[in-house]
Amino acid sequence: MLLLLTLGCSLAALQAHASSKDPETLVIGKISHNPKKHYQYLKPMVKYAVERMHDLGIRKGKIRMARSKKQLADMVRRGEVDWVTETPIAAAYLHEKSGAEVLLRKWKKGVPDYHSVFFSLKQSNINKLEDLRGKVIALEDPASTSAFYLPVNAMLEKGLRLIKLRSIREKPPADRIGFVFAREEINIATLVDKGIVDAGAFSNLDWGKEDHLPSKYRTNFSIFLRTPPIIRAVEMVRQDIDPAIRKRLEEILLHAGNDPHAVSVLHAYQQTKKFDKLSRDQIDSIYNLRHIMDLVDQVL
Amino acid sequence: MKKIIMLLFSCFSSVLLGQQKALMPHSIDRNPQTSGDRFYLQQQGETVALQGNELSDAYDTSQPRDVLISTKGGVEVTTNDGEFSFQLGGRVLIDAAVYSEDKNTLGNGSELRDIRFDLEGRFYADFIYEMSIDFSDGEADIKDAWFAYDANYPWRYTIGHFKEPFSLEEMTSKKYLTFMERALPNTMVPGRSLGFGMNWIGGQTTFTAGLFGDDYNDDADDEGDEGDEGDEGWGATGRLTYAPLADERSVIHLGLAASYRKLDDEQEFRFDSRPESHLTDIRYLDTGKLNMSDSLTLFGLEGAWVSGSVSFQGEWIQALLLRDEHENPSFSGWYLQGSWFLTGESRHYKQRSGRFGRVRPLNDYGAVELAARYSTLDLNVAGIEGGSSDNITLGINWHLNPQIRLMVNYIIVENDIFADADGDVIGEDEPALIQFRAQADF
Repeated sequence: MLLLLTLGCSLAALQAHASSKDPETLVIGKISHNPKKHYQYLKPMVKYAVERMHDLGIRKGKIRMARSKKQLADMVRRGEVDWVTETPIAAAYLHEKSGAEVLLRKWKKGVPDYHSVFFSLKQSNINKLEDLRGKVIALEDPASTSAFYLPVNAMLEKGLRLIKLRSIREKPPADRIGFVFAREEINIATLVDKGIVDAGAFSNLDWGKEDHLPSKYRTNFSIFLRTPPIIRAVEMVRQDIDPAIRKRLEEILLHAGNDPHAVSVLHAYQQTKKFDKLSRDQIDSIYNLRHIMDLVDQVL
Repeated sequence: MKKIIMLLFSCFSSVLLGQQKALMPHSIDRNPQTSGDRFYLQQQGETVALQGNELSDAYDTSQPRDVLISTKGGVEVTTNDGEFSFQLGGRVLIDAAVYSEDKNTLGNGSELRDIRFDLEGRFYADFIYEMSIDFSDGEADIKDAWFAYDANYPWRYTIGHFKEPFSLEEMTSKKYLTFMERALPNTMVPGRSLGFGMNWIGGQTTFTAGLFGDDYNDDADDEGDEGDEGDEGWGATGRLTYAPLADERSVIHLGLAASYRKLDDEQEFRFDSRPESHLTDIRYLDTGKLNMSDSLTLFGLEGAWVSGSVSFQGEWIQALLLRDEHENPSFSGWYLQGSWFLTGESRHYKQRSGRFGRVRPLNDYGAVELAARYSTLDLNVAGIEGGSSDNITLGINWHLNPQIRLMVNYIIVENDIFADADGDVIGEDEPALIQFRAQADF
């Protein structure tokens, strides 16, 4: 009863005010299903940036988190979000739907890029993607870049046909690769190790993380394919953002990697090592991921 | 000192009121129509719409913001901009102990070690709070009760009732300790007091300091001579931690802390300590009341090393008591512990707060941890016969999942002749004990 009362009172208290974008406010946006956690990541960075934009009339920083890329694209398109920190896949979508532009590369978790690894049990005789026909691969979830989009794209590029299975016990037709969503990397590893599925795929970074792939599993697995690397994360800005603010934001972020005052800010900001510029070709390759998304989304 | 604390309090209040005033126009600009609010249940990574309108391409952000509800047993509610949130949680710790007695009767039995509700949250973006109340004694015992201004990262300013920043073991929640009870030297650690603190987070460094009065339920009227209005004590405490290595499975933690406390007008001081078992009421180590005590100064060194499934941790604490017309005693104690996860997990280090956190099992059947600790405390100094004790503990922890843990500790206690609870029991007692804990937190 006490809990319900507290919940009720708190929900009432949490009915919050609307937030209209004012020109003195710089708004950063992100897709998140864990706003409490991401708020702590984003707040120090937006504060750091705002403090260096006072002469441009920016006085306040604000955070907006969307539950989907579609919602975030709407926010950007409406001018309610100025700056976005996201993965390349989401960036490609945001660029197409809202016109948002890639500003810089973010060395999230200290790395500039990453790739997906396909793995199976050593004794499985799976040595290439074609060997997965008639078998089942475990992926993470439909929003994952490295544990869904990249692996599925790699299989489609080989001309392989995929089918989404309703359960891990279901078997695909002999000419298709079945896939299931395991939600977490550790689940993918467990399913492969127990022989419930034939293969799994996630990022090379997760391959080395003990809580995602315990060493006792890793020793049983072999990697049979690595996808080409993809940029780890990017910072984007609204297409029609004030050019002076865009330029200043770029300068601030580029300088942050060498700024002693930014050490703790970058650490909070998903352990980012630094930001750097991308070439036109690299940016276009990010925008072209939109085609991969269209292709991959069709298998769902 | 009271005036200083009051001044700090009023300064802090002014800052808060100023912020509140600045935020109010923002906060009342709310569409009164709430039917458009959207509530989501987020559980195990899955979001399910509970009620409200479906989101459309034309999502209208001028409407009230989304609220996400998630649960892992407790309840967490957050607005989608993160500016408002609250979390209701709690813990249940149930203990039992069997003593292999030597010279004194210790009393086998069981108890509710902790029955606690925790409420924490954020409001108006820049303010956070925490309240936790323990009911294990059948009465409400306030643990944490504070709120903080959190707008100036990496600085945070806190006011209320919270732990003085001293000792790695003390700063680590009881929920995440390797052993059921903290080591013997912990009796010298300040614990919770009412005060004002600030902490700073660097890339590898944290610094926390504060000014404190006494525990919340100390009454100034009780201090001093009979009929006189006495003053509470006050103290200043600081802790610096440095973690040059803090990867997922590799940690090097170094820390030092210092604390000064001006004792209250009663000028009586006492250190006493149970063996590392809470069920017995016998406090073998007991200095008795040391009158004419003026101040207490503490120094602490701490270190921890984690390499995969193996970890070591140790601390040394010294307490210097200044007394009028008496020799000034200097007490000290230390402990060293090691642990090994048979199932491959690693102790989880929280770099932003310089302490350890929750263990997450890698296997369906949970995580199994073996641990051992040696601790010692000597209260025989400067003519004070408070006793000296060594405890050796062997422990097994079974983390069934991240929130449920079963613990067994076997402890060998070795007391010297002066470890007699200030004359209430027989000294040189050397019992052994085995104790059990079932723990759930949510």
